[in-house]
Amino acid sequence: MATASVTSSTAGRLLGTVRLPLSIFAFLALALGVLGIDQFVNAMTLGAIYALVALGYTMVYGIIELINFAHGDVFMVGSFVAMFISSSLLGNEGSITNVPLLGVSVLVLFALTIGVMALLGALIERLAYRPLRRAPKLAPLITAIGVSFILQNLIQFFFGPTIVTVPQLVPIEWSIQISGSRVPLLNLFVIASSVILMVALQLFISRTRTGRAMRTTSMDRDASSLMGVNINRTIMITFLIGSGLAGAAGVVHGLYYGNTNYSLGFQSGLKAFTAAVLGGIGNTAGAALGGFLIAFVEVGASAFGYGRWGGAVVFSLLVIFLVFRPTGLLGSHTGDRA
Amino acid sequence: MKVFNKKGLSALAAVAILAAACGGSTASTAGKTLTIGISFPLNGASLASAGPARDGALLAIKEASIEGYTLKAKVLDHAKDGAHNPDQAAADMLTFVGQEDVVAVVGPFNSASARAQIPVSSEAGLLQCSPSNTNPTLTKGADGEALRGGRAVNYVRVATTDDLQGPAVAVYAKENGAKKIYILDSTDAYGKGVADAFETQFKADGGTVVGRQGLPTGTTDFSAAATAAKAAGADSIFYGGVTSDGAPLFRNALAQAGIGALPFYGADGIYDGTTEGSYIATAGANAENSYASQAAIENIPGKDDFNVKFKAEYGKDAEGYAFAGYACAQIIVEGIKAAVAGGDVTRETVRAAVVDKGTVFETVLGSVSFDAVGDTTQRIISLYKVEGGAWKFVKEINYGN
Amino acid sequence: MSRISTALSAPFAPVRAYFRKHRSFGIFVGVALLSIALPLLTRVPPFDGIQSTNAWVNAFTTAAIYAMLAMGLNVVIGFAGLLDLGYAAFFALGGYTYAFVASPFTGVHLPFWPMLLAGGVVGAIFGVLLGAPTLRLRGDYLAIVTLGFGEIVPITLMNADKFTDGVNGIGGIDKPSIPGILQFTLTNPWPMYGLVIALFALIMIMIYRLQDSRIGRTWDAIREDELAAESSGVNIVIAKLQAFAVGASIAGIVGVVNAAKITIVTPDQFRFAVSISVLAAVVLGGMGNTIGVATGAFVIYLFQSILLKQLNTLVENFNIPVLNQIDFLEFQYVLYGIVLVLMMLKRPQGIFPARRRMREFAPLKIGKRGAK
Repeated sequence: MATASVTSSTAGRLLGTVRLPLSIFAFLALALGVLGIDQFVNAMTLGAIYALVALGYTMVYGIIELINFAHGDVFMVGSFVAMFISSSLLGNEGSITNVPLLGVSVLVLFALTIGVMALLGALIERLAYRPLRRAPKLAPLITAIGVSFILQNLIQFFFGPTIVTVPQLVPIEWSIQISGSRVPLLNLFVIASSVILMVALQLFISRTRTGRAMRTTSMDRDASSLMGVNINRTIMITFLIGSGLAGAAGVVHGLYYGNTNYSLGFQSGLKAFTAAVLGGIGNTAGAALGGFLIAFVEVGASAFGYGRWGGAVVFSLLVIFLVFRPTGLLGSHTGDRA
Repeated sequence: MKVFNKKGLSALAAVAILAAACGGSTASTAGKTLTIGISFPLNGASLASAGPARDGALLAIKEASIEGYTLKAKVLDHAKDGAHNPDQAAADMLTFVGQEDVVAVVGPFNSASARAQIPVSSEAGLLQCSPSNTNPTLTKGADGEALRGGRAVNYVRVATTDDLQGPAVAVYAKENGAKKIYILDSTDAYGKGVADAFETQFKADGGTVVGRQGLPTGTTDFSAAATAAKAAGADSIFYGGVTSDGAPLFRNALAQAGIGALPFYGADGIYDGTTEGSYIATAGANAENSYASQAAIENIPGKDDFNVKFKAEYGKDAEGYAFAGYACAQIIVEGIKAAVAGGDVTRETVRAAVVDKGTVFETVLGSVSFDAVGDTTQRIISLYKVEGGAWKFVKEINYGN
Repeated sequence: MSRISTALSAPFAPVRAYFRKHRSFGIFVGVALLSIALPLLTRVPPFDGIQSTNAWVNAFTTAAIYAMLAMGLNVVIGFAGLLDLGYAAFFALGGYTYAFVASPFTGVHLPFWPMLLAGGVVGAIFGVLLGAPTLRLRGDYLAIVTLGFGEIVPITLMNADKFTDGVNGIGGIDKPSIPGILQFTLTNPWPMYGLVIALFALIMIMIYRLQDSRIGRTWDAIREDELAAESSGVNIVIAKLQAFAVGASIAGIVGVVNAAKITIVTPDQFRFAVSISVLAAVVLGGMGNTIGVATGAFVIYLFQSILLKQLNTLVENFNIPVLNQIDFLEFQYVLYGIVLVLMMLKRPQGIFPARRRMREFAPLKIGKRGAK
């Protein structure tokens, strides 16, 4: 009796661990078959950007249960900071064909943008959210909306309301051939840098002391505080990381699309937020999955000529999905509050 | 890359002019005050396109002088959250209606705002002149009749309607050898309308539409649509929409998909000069081999003169709808003068003078007169091509009266 | 906390006592007095310098429309504790309902007054349709579902152009009339003002009665402790659905009025920004307090659409040096954002917090501080 239950639970656990990778693999294979390699690469690239933005949403939600409406705009500001650093500070004008120079430029760009945006995120947290930690739940939601207005309009004031071009450092001509299709290296670069950042984040959360503090804080803030976790510091680090990732997404957005504009944050923020919920809000791996899933839906709609319904399809999917699986793809890490 | 653009300065300049116009009674000889209202969306993304129209109108009002009267301008902004807001547009029109010395209004900029404003202005018999509305249903047919509520025409416009622009580009594309076209539109009134008109004409001339879809304003990722166009085997592309909807982004995505050399057609939504944020500036080298149209004549008679005046006033080149905004204010001023000559300046006499079918107005856009529903009889579409990083005039198609 | 308001109202204690007993009558009198006082106020400086009385009355009408939306959303958020981020969708459905039956687009011209009810019914039906499958979701998952619904509705209205005329929207919508007595016009804002004020008072009275009824107490119970309420025999799903339906039907009714007022409906009028500004009004006004959210919405609308827009004129009128060099139009949304943040930091419970809520928050605060 006892052994049987142990075996079955081991089997169950084994099945549990394989099920997710298996279903992801099956989904990707299906998508590749339906969309073809070109659109598949488009979807993966778009998904990589959504995923980076969604991570910030989900981390902040996980730890202070705030729908951070300003996060989409933090991403937007990130794209402008990246543009400013790249074109004004580093003096880039177009693509760089010298590989070592390109590598250094891109690394410097990432490092500076992530740094600036992490500081901005922490600043916003300190000024607009921390004073409201014990306030009614909707109060910080409204300050987040206020911050979103401020960021959007300040950027509009300094950079104008029009589309602004960003130097595309990685030459768009570089490509490799995969089964007869031309796949630009730029897309692979976007996907790779996003995946590297996501893996680094997972390692940070699961392996480091601070990561553990973040997890315990999101489970039970008071108990963590009693166990010696510095709550304010932990929340601030969460914002540093989340906004830093949004900054990285801003860099990637600029390199991939070659432009940005002040209203970028709204739509992207909405999509990323949806991705976070779809994945199970508070769950970082789920947010990444949700980002890719939404990208596949959007690209799929557009590939088959239904682009004008793209938004409606994404949100209908969300509603239907949540009706049948109320805690999202991977389930939420946070307990429900009454 | 400029961090601080000139927009702030020009806005200051506009305010200064407004202040001058409002406080001008000390300078000019006293007389009865007449005010011309200006109603545009003037913040957020709308400012870039509607701002020049406002500047043009303000300039014309500043220049005009009418014996025995003081002419003023009053600007109201109906943009909310960065976009034009019909509810606010109607409220602003009511403000103008309520201010007795307002005899006519320049505006609005967007068709949706016009739909909200025309019923109000029509009820009050207040003349309005739009520099940019091109949606046919605002004036023509049952829709136009419903908006006016069966009253006399009080709304005129100097831009030719979309039902001519789309077909003109389609004819031109056909001449250039387009056979298989891929159409993308911005899903809004203007973009979808012009794309529909293009599609109808292109098909009628024996062309094939290999794909058609819409991606709304705010879309940043056009890669899937570009790949779809490539997969469909298109030999030309048409984009219905304006630059800020994403026309250059689509063009860049086509280039990234490897079909950036295909001819790219658009209407006046992408014919927006070469300044920062314009189609050409944003698409860069990819803009070559793009085509666009404009619902106005190319060889504007007073273009150079106007440019000099405009630059002296605002420190920047006249672009986009500056000409049309100026022309609208000119027409209104002419209407007021005619009413003065008739001995009685009221809203009704100004309205009647402008909508009169026989009158020809000499404006910066050339000779303009209006038909029975208030549309301009100058039905000329000009066609352009990008060459060497600038728009080059190709030819014009005259649809006559 | 409410020291100022207490001090202000001290001399009116007997009046207050009377109106506390006869609340519906009190609301009626209060709204009537205010609706007369406001237009009079616009004839006094500095308000008379901003715009004409007619334009002010029109602005008050729109502000009251927003205030009704805020009261409706407050039923969902403030009473039942369900976060709804797509409230504008129901507003849109009401507007389109009226547009379908009273415009040249369909050629049907039904009278306005019964359509007020129809708008409410349509709102309620969609509220239940959306609510029934999703209300078992908790907290913020419900928020995102409503947000999604709020996006789906305008996208559908925009793309189903055979039925809705797409982005052009439906124009030339019939204005209300009382046959033989009064035809509403667009240039005379007073009849619409009267209609909206009357509806405002009716909705407020209805909401207060609901709040005191069995349903209202059920909502209180659910909001405070869902589990406890359920174990005391409250049918949670039904109660939540009722809140959703009431909120949605108010939005539907207001949608009909709004469509008749501006005579055009377009999908763009009902985007996310509308839901968000109504939500901001509810939270700033003080969730759970009907008069508070109504006042909050009214003031915020006027602040946003009149004051911010008129800052230039005001500054010029007073000729304040330095300030008159700035174009405030450029900064209006930065200012709006700063005001939102500062208001929340100063008064996280809203300007006029609900009394019951104030009591709820007070001990909570002390307890948590002690734990720290």
